[in-house]
Amino acid sequence: MARSMWRGAIQFGLVTIPVKLYLATESGGIGFNLLHQKDLSRIQMKIYCPVDDEVIPRSETVRGYEWSKGKYVVVTEEDLESVPLKTVRSIEIEAFVDEERAEEQGTRFVKQAYYLEPDEIGRKAFYLLKSVLEETGKVAICKIVLKDREQLAALNPFMKTILLTTLHWPDEIRSLEELSLPEDEIEIKPSERKMAEQLVASMAGEFDPSEEHDEYREALIKVIEAKVAGEKPELVAKAEPTKIGDLMAALEASVSAARESRRGGAKAEEKAAKPARAKRASSRKAKEREEEAPAARRRKTA
Amino acid sequence: VSPEQLPLPVTHGSDEPALRLPARAIPMQATLVDAPFDDAGYFFEPWWPGIRAFALAERGRLRLQADGLADADATFSEIGELLGQLGEDGVVLDGTLLVLDDGGRPDPALLRARLDGVPDAGRPAYVASDLLWAGGEPVTRRSFRTRRRWLEALLAAGDRVMAGHGYVGDGTLVAEALATLGIDALSARQLSARYRAGPAGAAWLRAPIIPAEPRGRPTLALIQRLPLGD
Repeated sequence: MARSMWRGAIQFGLVTIPVKLYLATESGGIGFNLLHQKDLSRIQMKIYCPVDDEVIPRSETVRGYEWSKGKYVVVTEEDLESVPLKTVRSIEIEAFVDEERAEEQGTRFVKQAYYLEPDEIGRKAFYLLKSVLEETGKVAICKIVLKDREQLAALNPFMKTILLTTLHWPDEIRSLEELSLPEDEIEIKPSERKMAEQLVASMAGEFDPSEEHDEYREALIKVIEAKVAGEKPELVAKAEPTKIGDLMAALEASVSAARESRRGGAKAEEKAAKPARAKRASSRKAKEREEEAPAARRRKTA
Repeated sequence: VSPEQLPLPVTHGSDEPALRLPARAIPMQATLVDAPFDDAGYFFEPWWPGIRAFALAERGRLRLQADGLADADATFSEIGELLGQLGEDGVVLDGTLLVLDDGGRPDPALLRARLDGVPDAGRPAYVASDLLWAGGEPVTRRSFRTRRRWLEALLAAGDRVMAGHGYVGDGTLVAEALATLGIDALSARQLSARYRAGPAGAAWLRAPIIPAEPRGRPTLALIQRLPLGD
């Protein structure tokens, strides 16, 4: 089951729809670790101070903001804590806008897409909102606090759910001014236009995402697989992990063994087959009873 | 730009915004008691032989705050994997840093080696026992029962990091089991108690486990005898 990364509620007017958020996409990149070439051990990044020429602990570092070339002001934890931040877990709808207009006004510059999943009590309102958005061709522009930052976002109906896409703030979108884009100065002859139109028509088709592949990634995986195949013995020996889960399993096993042994002890006591063991088991039980009472007393005095 | 945006032009880049978790977590200190006990109001788990440590996760960054360790993050850099196992951001965990040997058991000698700066000594692990913050909010006022449930929900088990297993009620049974694992203390957390900074009172108890002879030996004998009895 997928794990939700956020839960809260869509809010507009007096309506509140509790929802969960799931990442809609995942990164398909291949991750590498940096190793020491000599012995293939994972390297560690140390924090180095060039002035003192030494490795320093992270606790000796502070945050600096470069306000002019080479001049820093130190920003402390307290400074950051004093910054007012909303932590409300809500998706506050600011406006419903026409899909086309919304796109012109910047819903194109998306950061990340999330699927919404309504909580059981919010299902009806959720699907009502979805169908109204579909019928009217509107996009809901909203604000949401994700990872402690307020984000601008758009809500769009998408298949059986609503898609929330976080958007860049207007001041994060770069202007086109710096580029050379002389569209108006270019003259196009009718014959040229006709040729271009024919070319486009000849390549017209449906977009089928399943036909698209990250060919670089696939090729890289092939290279890696071939290397792994060639080097198997050493890698398997090195990668054999002793997992923390094994330790928990050992704990589980010894607790159930202890439980079994108690049960066994009780059985022996009933049968009284071996008086010596029965006596020991019963004396142990008696001892526990003794212990329980003083423990309770001790806790009160603690 | 909304008024909630940062007024200060702090360039966190896009991924280093304001930290909201406390700079340091203040530990709850367990009360020593004489011996293990049974109590349905308590959650019993091993007193893992390692270093008490808080894991503060925020915005894809992990800080480890460990007793007497200036740079736990570098010493136990592998624990950074923890970030990938969290279902929420803004989380503070209370737990224990361990170093496991090849057999997967906590090894004090390997732990010392690692603290002495041997970077690849043993396999570091982190067992989480309690939850102080979740989703950027403190949860210390909640009962341990609730915190524990949330801890299990938000921390997926990994190869190095997981929520430790424990048992409600059967303290003496768990103690018997721990004696066979060579663990010398039992942790008992009161299910109804909130998390307090400083002395825990009855909220958290530590009981020594002494593998006394008349106790240890018959236990082993009985385990071996069992299949014949059935």
